[in-house]
Amino acid sequence: MLLGIDVGGTFTDAVLVASGRILASSKMPTTHHDLLEGILSALDAVLPAADHTQLKRVALSTTIVTNALIEDRTDKVGLCLIPGPGIDIGKIVPVEPVILSGYIDHRGREVREPEVVEVRAACRHYSDCDVFAVAGKFAVRNPQHEMMVADWINEIAKPQYITTGAAVAGSLNFWRRANSAYFNAAVWRQFTHFSDAIEQALRQRGIDAPVYILKADGGTMPLAAAKMLPIEAIFTGPAASVLGIMAMYHDDRPAVSLDIGGTTTDIALWQEGKPLFASQGAVVKGYPTAVRAFRLKSVGIGGDSFVRYEKGELKVGPMRKGPAMALGGSHPTLSDAMIVAGLSTFGDLDRACQAMTYIALPGQMPGDAAKAVLDVAAGIVKQAIAEMIDEQAAEPVYKVEDIVNKTCFDPQMIIGVGGAAAGLVPIIAEQLNISYQVPDGSMVANAVGAAVARPTLDITLRADTTQGYYTVAELAVKNSINSRRFSVADAQQLAVEVLRERAAQVGIEAADVEIVQQEEFNLVRGFNTVGKIITCRMQIKPGVIMTVGRVQEVVL
Amino acid sequence: MITDAHLISAGGAITAAEAVLKGEVLRSFALVRPPGHHAMKVVHGTRGFCTVNIEAIMIEYLRSHYGIKKVAIIDTDVHHGDGTQDIFYHDPDTLFISFHQDGRTLYPGTGFMEEMGSPNALCSTMNIPLPPGTTDEGLHYVLDNLILPVLADFKPELVINSAGQDNHYSDPLANMAITAQGYARLADKLKADIAVLEGGYSIEDALPYVNLGIILAMAKLDYSKVIEPNIEECPKQTARTTQYIRQLVDRWHKVWAKRDMLKYEAVAKAGDFWNSQRSIYYDDSGISEQRQEKVRMCHECAGYYMIATEAEGAGFGVKSAFASVIPRAACPSCRRRAQDEAITAKRQGRYGHCFIQDKQQDILEKL
Repeated sequence: MLLGIDVGGTFTDAVLVASGRILASSKMPTTHHDLLEGILSALDAVLPAADHTQLKRVALSTTIVTNALIEDRTDKVGLCLIPGPGIDIGKIVPVEPVILSGYIDHRGREVREPEVVEVRAACRHYSDCDVFAVAGKFAVRNPQHEMMVADWINEIAKPQYITTGAAVAGSLNFWRRANSAYFNAAVWRQFTHFSDAIEQALRQRGIDAPVYILKADGGTMPLAAAKMLPIEAIFTGPAASVLGIMAMYHDDRPAVSLDIGGTTTDIALWQEGKPLFASQGAVVKGYPTAVRAFRLKSVGIGGDSFVRYEKGELKVGPMRKGPAMALGGSHPTLSDAMIVAGLSTFGDLDRACQAMTYIALPGQMPGDAAKAVLDVAAGIVKQAIAEMIDEQAAEPVYKVEDIVNKTCFDPQMIIGVGGAAAGLVPIIAEQLNISYQVPDGSMVANAVGAAVARPTLDITLRADTTQGYYTVAELAVKNSINSRRFSVADAQQLAVEVLRERAAQVGIEAADVEIVQQEEFNLVRGFNTVGKIITCRMQIKPGVIMTVGRVQEVVL
Repeated sequence: MITDAHLISAGGAITAAEAVLKGEVLRSFALVRPPGHHAMKVVHGTRGFCTVNIEAIMIEYLRSHYGIKKVAIIDTDVHHGDGTQDIFYHDPDTLFISFHQDGRTLYPGTGFMEEMGSPNALCSTMNIPLPPGTTDEGLHYVLDNLILPVLADFKPELVINSAGQDNHYSDPLANMAITAQGYARLADKLKADIAVLEGGYSIEDALPYVNLGIILAMAKLDYSKVIEPNIEECPKQTARTTQYIRQLVDRWHKVWAKRDMLKYEAVAKAGDFWNSQRSIYYDDSGISEQRQEKVRMCHECAGYYMIATEAEGAGFGVKSAFASVIPRAACPSCRRRAQDEAITAKRQGRYGHCFIQDKQQDILEKL
C-alpha cells in the first residue's frame, strides 16, 4: 500500500494505492500560508481507509521549494566561485559571488591552489550568511578545491550548511552547476523545516513508513537524501503529473500528454512509453540550472480561463478571474463552455448557460457560443503542441549520424489528465485528427504519480586512462585504475557497482539501471593516441513501482 | 571522397550564415569540421585535411540566395588559405586576405605577396606572410595598419573569417606566438559577420581558450578573463621580427595605394588571355595535379576562364578534365565563348571529362 500526496497551486490531493487500484482519494484546498495544514487534512481524509501496518511508503510532491523561491523566503547565500580562466561568470549568477583564485583544468589537474586568505576575506564579507555554496569549474573532474574551500569555510565561518557544486550535479556546465548549488543552499532551511514537520506529523499519526520526496526528473528520493539536495524537489507538480500518466497509460506510440488544470495546460511529449527530458536542465527564476527535469511546456488554458471578446475577437485565457459562473463565479470561463456543451457535469447548468449568453454574438445560441469557445481554447493548445514539436526538432544533436537520420516527432495519441481534460481533450484530438485517452483517476493523477514513482539516483563516472584514475563527481570519489586498457565496458561495470553501493547507503533498491549518457574520447599526444577519457552517467531508471487503473482509448 | 561529414560541415556553415542574414543573430561562428581552406576549384583528393572548400560553398550559396555581391574573407589560419585563394583568384568582388606563417617555412609553401589575383582581379588577393615567432603585437600591427584600412576601402557587404587557430603559441604544427587574447581582440576588431572554423591542433592548450575568446568577442561579451594557464610559455617577439613586419606592411601600403594603375598595367600586359600553369600536390591522398588556367581579359566584364587539369597517383590512375567557368557577372560575349570553348574541348576528346560551370544559372553542365 502506497500513499501519495500532491500539493498543487489550488488543491492538495492524497491517494492510497494498492494492487493497481486507487483505494481512496481526497482533494483539499491548498493552504498557502502553511502547506502542512492542507497536506494533513488531505492525508487525514484518506487515512481511515489505510491499514498502517501495510503502508510501505509515503511520497510527497510539494511546491515548498518552488514557493520559497517565488515568495523570496530563501536564505542569503555566501556564494564562492572558483572559475579559473574563461567567461566572467560573476555577473550571470543570482547574486554577486566572491571569486576565489585556484584552478582545476579540464582534465581534473590542479593548476593553481586556492588561497586560504581569500576564503577568510570571503567569510568576513558574508558574515551575515548562515548557508554557503561553493562551486568550481571542472570540479566534476576533481572536487578537491571545492572540498578544500568548503572545509575552510566550515572552520572559519561555522555555517549551518554548505553546498558544493559537484555534489549537486555530476555533469559539465559550470554555470548551471553554480546556479544549482546557489539555489540548493538558498532553499535548504525552508525545506528542512518542512521535512521535519512532515516527519513529526506522520509519527503523531502512527505512520512509520519511510517518506520520499518527488524530484523534477520524476524519481523519488528518501527524505534524508532530499535534505542534502532540496533543489531537486523543485517543479515536482508537473513531474508528478507525468508520473501519474506513466502509471495509468501504457503505450509505445509517440504521444502528447496534456495536464489541463484550473489555470494552465502542461504539455509533455512521449516516445516509447517514456516522457522526453529537457536537454540540459530546469530554469529556476530565470537562471539555468543542472536540475534534470522533463521537457514541459505550459500554456495558459485551464478550466478557469477567462472568456471574453477583445476587439471583436473571442479570447480564452491566459488570465483567470475566479471560478466558473456555474460554481458561483462572476465571469464566463472555459468550464462554463464545457458544461453547456455537455462535456462536464458539475455546477449549475443555468448559470453556465448565462455565462455563454454573455459572450454569445447577436442571435447566437449559448450552445453554439460554447462550441466557439472550446474551438478557440483547443486551437491555442494545438498551436502550443506544434511549437513544442518544432522546438524538439530544433534541439541540438551530437552526432553526424543524428543529423543524417533525423526523425520527426509525430504524435499518434493524446493522453489527457487533470480536472478539465475530459472536456477539452476530445476537441483537441479532433482538431489534430488523432486518437485520445483520458484515464480513470485522471482527476488525481498527480497524487497517483507521487504514490507510485520509483526511487532514483544517478552518478557520473569519468575515467582518464592516461592519468590512471576515475572519479565519481557526485560522491567526491577519486580512485586509481590499474589497467591502461580500461574500456567502456569496464567503466559501465564500475558505474553499476558504484551506483548499487550508493543506493544501498541511502536505502533504495537499484534493480533497473540504465546509461543516461556515455562518451569515449581518444587522448592524442603528438600524433599518437596515448589513452582514453571515458564518461559514463548511470541512473536507476525513473518509472513507476506499479501501474494503476485501466484506460479506454477513443479512436476518432 | 565527399562524406556525410563534409556535407554537414558545409551545410552547417550555410545554416550559421543564414542565421545572420535572416537577422536571427548578430553574428555567427560555424564550428564545423572537416575544414576547407586548402580545397580548390578542382578537387582530385584531400589536401591539408581539406576536401571541399566549406566557406566558398557558403559564400556562393549566399550570393545566389541573398543577392550579395562584395564579400571579404580574412583567413586567420597559420597556413596559407591556398584553396580559397584559388577559387576567388579571378573574382574582383571577393577580397581574400590571408595572413599566415611564411610559406618558406610552412605548408603549403605558397601565399607570397606576389600572388595578388589575376589581372582583372588584381589586389583582391592579399597575402601577408609573417615570420615565425610573430606575437599578438605583430599581428595587431598588421591588423590595425593594413587589414582594417583595406577592408574600409573595399567596403564589403559581408565579412567572413576563416578562423584557424593554429597561430597559437602552443600549436604543434606551426611556429607562431599568438595567444587567446590576441585572437579574441582580432575577432573584436574584425567584427566578422560569419566565422568558419579552419585548423588548430593544440587540442587542450589552445582550442578551449581561443574558441571561447573568439565566441565571446563576436558576441560582444567580456573576454578579458580568457587567459591560458601556461601563458608564460608564450615567446616574446624579437626586434628583427617587428622590423620585418613593419617593412612588409609598408610594401603593401605602396601596392594598395596604386592598385588601380597596377591592375590597368597587368591587363594591358596580359593581352587577350592571362595564362598560368602549376603543379598541385594532394598531401593526404598522394596525388599530383598539373593544371593550366586561362582567363579572358575582357573589357566588359572580369572575363570567363578555363581550367585544364590532369592528375595521377598510386591507386588513383590518371584522370583529366576541362572546365569553362561563366562568372556571375560575365558579359554575353564571354558567356558564349565559354560555352564554345567547352564544346570544342569535348570534340577534341583530349579530356576524361568536360564541364561548363554556369554561375549565372547556378548549374554545372557535364558535356
